Amino acid sequence: MSSDHGVHESRHPTLKQYVIIAIFLFAITIVEFVIILPEDFRGQGWTIAPLAILSAIKFAAVIFFYMHLKFDNRMLTWVFLGGLALGFAVVLALVGLFASWTPSPRAFAEDHAKPCTLDHELGGCLEDRPKAAPEPVDPVDQPPSEEGRTEIDPEEPPAPGGLVEIGRQVFITGTGQGAATPCVTCHTVGGVPEAVGLLGPDLSHIGTEAATRQPGVSAEDYIAQSIRDPESFIAEGVDRATPGLMLTAITAGLADEDVDALVAFLMAQQ
Amino acid sequence: MAHQTEVSHHAPEEEHPTSTGINNRKLLMWVFLSSDCLFFGSLIATYMVYRGQSLVGPYPVDIIDVPITTISTFVLLCSSFAMVRALAATNENRQGAILFWLLMTAFLGAIFIGFQVYEFNLFRSEGLRIDTNLFGSTFFTLTGFHGAHVTLGIVWLLGLAWVAKKGRLGPKTALDVELAGLYWHFVDIVWIVIFTLLYLIGGFDTGPAGDPSLVPHSITGFLGLI
Repeated sequence: MSSDHGVHESRHPTLKQYVIIAIFLFAITIVEFVIILPEDFRGQGWTIAPLAILSAIKFAAVIFFYMHLKFDNRMLTWVFLGGLALGFAVVLALVGLFASWTPSPRAFAEDHAKPCTLDHELGGCLEDRPKAAPEPVDPVDQPPSEEGRTEIDPEEPPAPGGLVEIGRQVFITGTGQGAATPCVTCHTVGGVPEAVGLLGPDLSHIGTEAATRQPGVSAEDYIAQSIRDPESFIAEGVDRATPGLMLTAITAGLADEDVDALVAFLMAQQ
Repeated sequence: MAHQTEVSHHAPEEEHPTSTGINNRKLLMWVFLSSDCLFFGSLIATYMVYRGQSLVGPYPVDIIDVPITTISTFVLLCSSFAMVRALAATNENRQGAILFWLLMTAFLGAIFIGFQVYEFNLFRSEGLRIDTNLFGSTFFTLTGFHGAHVTLGIVWLLGLAWVAKKGRLGPKTALDVELAGLYWHFVDIVWIVIFTLLYLIGGFDTGPAGDPSLVPHSITGFLGLI
């Protein structure tokens, strides 16, 4: 058994090698990210092999160079790889015994699972609430919505819906002013296909809900104030990030007319 | 051990002859890391066994945000680089650099934990708790134990930084830094596995009623913010 006494200088890689390894690790992580960037590739079975191989390469680079197993007593390599192999065997055995290798749900889950539309005001799924609105996704209240479905170009003159339709377009595309992301990035509104955001409260029924939120504040004022300063009112039961993520009207580049249009659009979400 | 009294207390690791030729503390650290492979292997196996078995949402595709976690993965990789610099500085007895790189490693680790706290909070606000479904239970258990490892590593590094500040770290006590480094790098490689498995591969799993139209949302939404 060789001794590592007195070989301190030689058993560690040089700074240059460390930098190269760091760049190498970064590059692999970027490649991994790029692999899953196209929507069609995400969650596909064939991505598993390249991703697993790339992460194994990263793993090896760290243990052999950063943890300098390559330069150290060989016994340490066997001690560690022994445990790693055992751990790997445990994973293989358990998965082989109790699961399949495919990500798709197995029969029991398929038969018993419940659909889930995330409810951001109360958490959990809308489907779990029998007293909730009968049809969470129902565009009945939006007769002119067929036009809005295909034409969301802000250059177009206002559609027959007037202020509501303008508000709808601001809601979907923003105003183009400021550094803002449009409302749909974070908010879901039933009947608006673009509005599937998950970060903020679901606004599908805000037109009716807003009236009951704050005593002495009308529904219109409640919505307008919530757009101008999102911190003004926090609805009961909302579990939210601190500080809030939503932009104020000024930061979002919304003029007064834009706010009025948004209020009209949201008041129509009954 | 008859020689023990003659051994300088500054460098016990250099003087003890051992039957393996490896310093005992170092061997112990590697045996511990080896056993920790089994620990995380069990948690990973549990995640994989229950993958796709949740009966209620939210499902991974609803809430996993790969871009944000890619950033925190970069941060952890950077911290590993800072750690090797700390050990190199210790071997070269550059006192200022030892302290700097130890604190930098701990700082980057703390940023990683910050990302995790943000992520856990976001998931909680979106309705995923540890008792919500099998995905929540296995996800929070695995990533939570990893986060606990990182947190312990930060405490260890800060302790070393305190020793370094007193000027007690140097070539003769380099093993103290090296052992912390081994632990820190191990936590990094565990994250390499978790990131690949839970985010890159499992992060797009839908529930039985999953809506594939939600998939692009987290990425496009994130790109819109920057």
